[in-house]
Amino acid sequence: MRIEENQFWGFFEWLIFQYGLLQGIVVAFAVGLLGFIICYLVSMARNGPGEAFYNVTRVVYELLARDLPGTSGRRVYALAKLSFQEAIRRKVLVVMAVFVVVLLFAGWFLDPGANNIAQLYISCVMTGTSYLLILLGLFLSCFSIPNDIKNKTIQTISTKPVRPTEMILGRILGFGGVGTVLLLGMGLLSYQFVTRGIQHSHEVEEFAADGLSGTTSYDAQHEHTFELIEDENEPGVYRGTTNEVKGHVHQVTGRMVDGTMEYEIGPPEGLLAARIPIYGSLQFTDRQGNLTEGGLSVGYESEYQSYIEGASLMSAIWTFDGVRQSRFPFEDKLPIELSLKAFRTFKGDIVTGVQGEIYLQHPTDERIQSERIPFIVKEFAVDYREIDVDLNGTKDGQPQKLNIYDDLTEDGQLKVVVRCRDPGQYFGMAAADLYLKAGESTFGWNMFKGFLGLWMQMMLVICVGVMFSTFLSGPVAMVATAACLVLGFFGGMAFDIASGEIPGGGPIESLIRIPMQTGAMVDLDLGNPVLEKTIRIVDSGIMYTLFSVFQAIPSFEQFNTAEFVAYGYNINGPLVARHLVMAFAYFMLTFTIAYFFLKTREIAAS
Amino acid sequence: MSATTEAQPESLVSESAESEVVIETRNLGKIYRDFWGRKKVTALKALDIEVRKGEIFGLLGPNGSGKSTTIKLIQGLLFPTSGRAFVFEKDARDVTKNERIGYLPEESYLYKFLNAEETLDFYSRLFDIPASERKERADKLIRMVGLQSARRRQLREYSKGMTRRIGLAQALINEPDLLILDEPTTGMDPIGSREMKDLIIRLRDEGKTILLCSHQLADVQDVCDRVAILHQGELRELGRVENLLKVRDVTEVHAKGLSDDTKSKIADLIRNDGGEVVSIDNPTTSMEELFLDIVQDDKPGSRPSAS
Repeated sequence: MRIEENQFWGFFEWLIFQYGLLQGIVVAFAVGLLGFIICYLVSMARNGPGEAFYNVTRVVYELLARDLPGTSGRRVYALAKLSFQEAIRRKVLVVMAVFVVVLLFAGWFLDPGANNIAQLYISCVMTGTSYLLILLGLFLSCFSIPNDIKNKTIQTISTKPVRPTEMILGRILGFGGVGTVLLLGMGLLSYQFVTRGIQHSHEVEEFAADGLSGTTSYDAQHEHTFELIEDENEPGVYRGTTNEVKGHVHQVTGRMVDGTMEYEIGPPEGLLAARIPIYGSLQFTDRQGNLTEGGLSVGYESEYQSYIEGASLMSAIWTFDGVRQSRFPFEDKLPIELSLKAFRTFKGDIVTGVQGEIYLQHPTDERIQSERIPFIVKEFAVDYREIDVDLNGTKDGQPQKLNIYDDLTEDGQLKVVVRCRDPGQYFGMAAADLYLKAGESTFGWNMFKGFLGLWMQMMLVICVGVMFSTFLSGPVAMVATAACLVLGFFGGMAFDIASGEIPGGGPIESLIRIPMQTGAMVDLDLGNPVLEKTIRIVDSGIMYTLFSVFQAIPSFEQFNTAEFVAYGYNINGPLVARHLVMAFAYFMLTFTIAYFFLKTREIAAS
Repeated sequence: MSATTEAQPESLVSESAESEVVIETRNLGKIYRDFWGRKKVTALKALDIEVRKGEIFGLLGPNGSGKSTTIKLIQGLLFPTSGRAFVFEKDARDVTKNERIGYLPEESYLYKFLNAEETLDFYSRLFDIPASERKERADKLIRMVGLQSARRRQLREYSKGMTRRIGLAQALINEPDLLILDEPTTGMDPIGSREMKDLIIRLRDEGKTILLCSHQLADVQDVCDRVAILHQGELRELGRVENLLKVRDVTEVHAKGLSDDTKSKIADLIRNDGGEVVSIDNPTTSMEELFLDIVQDDKPGSRPSAS
């Protein structure tokens, strides 16, 4: 799973230090200014410059002084209820039926032998929910107001003391309500589907002569081995845990009854995780041991991870804040999880794997560090390790016993260093690939937060759809909203092109390059510097415009945190809070634009 | 009977100048434009009318004369190209004026998936009416329009007459001071039509103001106190109905207690013609004849083009 560094920023870190608030204010100001200018120009063309200014400022004044303060909860509720009833009577519950059918037959197509069955099930239900809700939001929101205008039912409403703010809020809340009810239903069904779908049981197939070790039966396309030891508190009862296969273990209990061992194997454990990670910031040292921001690049192998070379002074150093004993579940252990990537320049010992070492270091005094703990990199899996709180190390050049919290941390700060031992091999890592595990959250709660992300996504689609429907006809509003969705979901490439990150120039330059078959990395050479400069200037203008448009489009994908749930990571509170704030900001933006269009629209104009 | 009238468009100051002005239009005009802002059609030209409290004011005119445009401009559903409209001394685009208005559109534009109770509950919520009053008012209005037996049926199952009735009920849900009725008797049977007219008169007697727009000339003649006749977006006639319908170049005599001599002279005259004298006075024409007389020079539906 790919977790970007910005996803584990604290809420205020994002809001203040990473300029979240500032960006919001700048976008609001820019959109406001642009909207004012466009409205003024349109009004000026029809009414002249003086009246145009009066018209535009009057709408702004009415929004702030009359329509917002005068918005009535009862009217908004009435309109929301109407939208809700309208949607229900248009048989949107069919969506729920579709979902149930998908769930009924999903079991046929999901591979029960998959390495991470929970991930497969969770991804399936959450992706299905996401698509269905987005489509639902799209169809409901885009056609309602245009249909009301076409059927003239809006005339009966507009001749009541109903303000545009209430019409827009009513629509958004009504359709949001329908979506929320459906989402709740889908969420409950999904939870049941996942928790029941991953259940399986084993029986003991073979056991040793003493009955204290054995193998389980081959079920759900895997088997486990186990070893039992006698429970100190309950003589005659033997307990043990199976080995981990496909991300889970089972508790095994054996009881000696009449000279024979009777076994009981518990349900799978560890499949539905919600790990609470404490992430740190990542730095590297280069081959000379000097600090750098990034490691080595191994080409297109991965852009996400940076690499360190084996058997060199290169290392990856994570700095963690707030490392206090109270944050961790164990008093004597510090749980760490790492999922490093190995990049091999030769086959090496393919059975053993690439070796590395990990040690803890004082944040300011490098001479205080723990002993090096060797490990074999576990690829494509999360490697869970517990480091003793009291461990051997060196302080002031002297080997001695160290305590993590007393000797290795300062103001809650701790450094964890990873090195690769094998010469010619490399370790790849990103900031999120090593973290301290603060414990486990509840899977159900984590799934709820995942569905909250899908809810925000759906609400945004509804907001954008309602906004477009205030000035476009139903089908056109739907196409416009769908275009925003495509850009919001898959806008990464478009964004890179618009920002000029992808080489090859802008649209005009690219068009010229195609017939000329010029490589993108080579400067355009038309033999006419003036023409080349002109093309670049025009391209810059187009690209800047595109860039601005893409910036204003909500990035729908970022609200989808289903991957966290599927990969067993707790969706942290600051991330949820950030998404809620961003969703609210987009709601305000679309609401304001929708208000301006509805306020200045002649409702009865044919 | 074809008769010429002497009635002229009256000044803005009506006979009931002392009562409160409920609707006022000043130089109100509307030009419909296409997407590019070019003039398409002039729907209304410089309309000046005043509707006063407690009167039934009729708007008459052939198709395309600007009646509906006027009503929409008064309610803020359209924006004027020139002039302004005021209702209860507020600008027509001020939504707070709607708190005192009840509107029955030409076709009851209601949500077909709601039933009568839900419809009235919905519209009463839009007037911010508290829950305790909503049900009471809805019950009263459903009884008044005679839809008790169909109160739980979806409006999609209603006949046209029933739809008009529930439309009227929603227009009265806020106990309005001004009632705007667009073709109120359309689709109604004769009994329903009579009931509607009686109701309009009763509401007027209760002190409400009614602006009525209709093609049913007999209706207008029956209920309106004053009428404005629009044609091709212009105001052609405005005044009290009885004045407008008076034929001034014909004398109608109602006489009693004449001398025998006079009686015999008149009687001789009539007798020579084989008839009997009952009265001598100015006879009135019908609204239909007056209307046709005004619009006969143009085809109905034609509007002056922008050019």
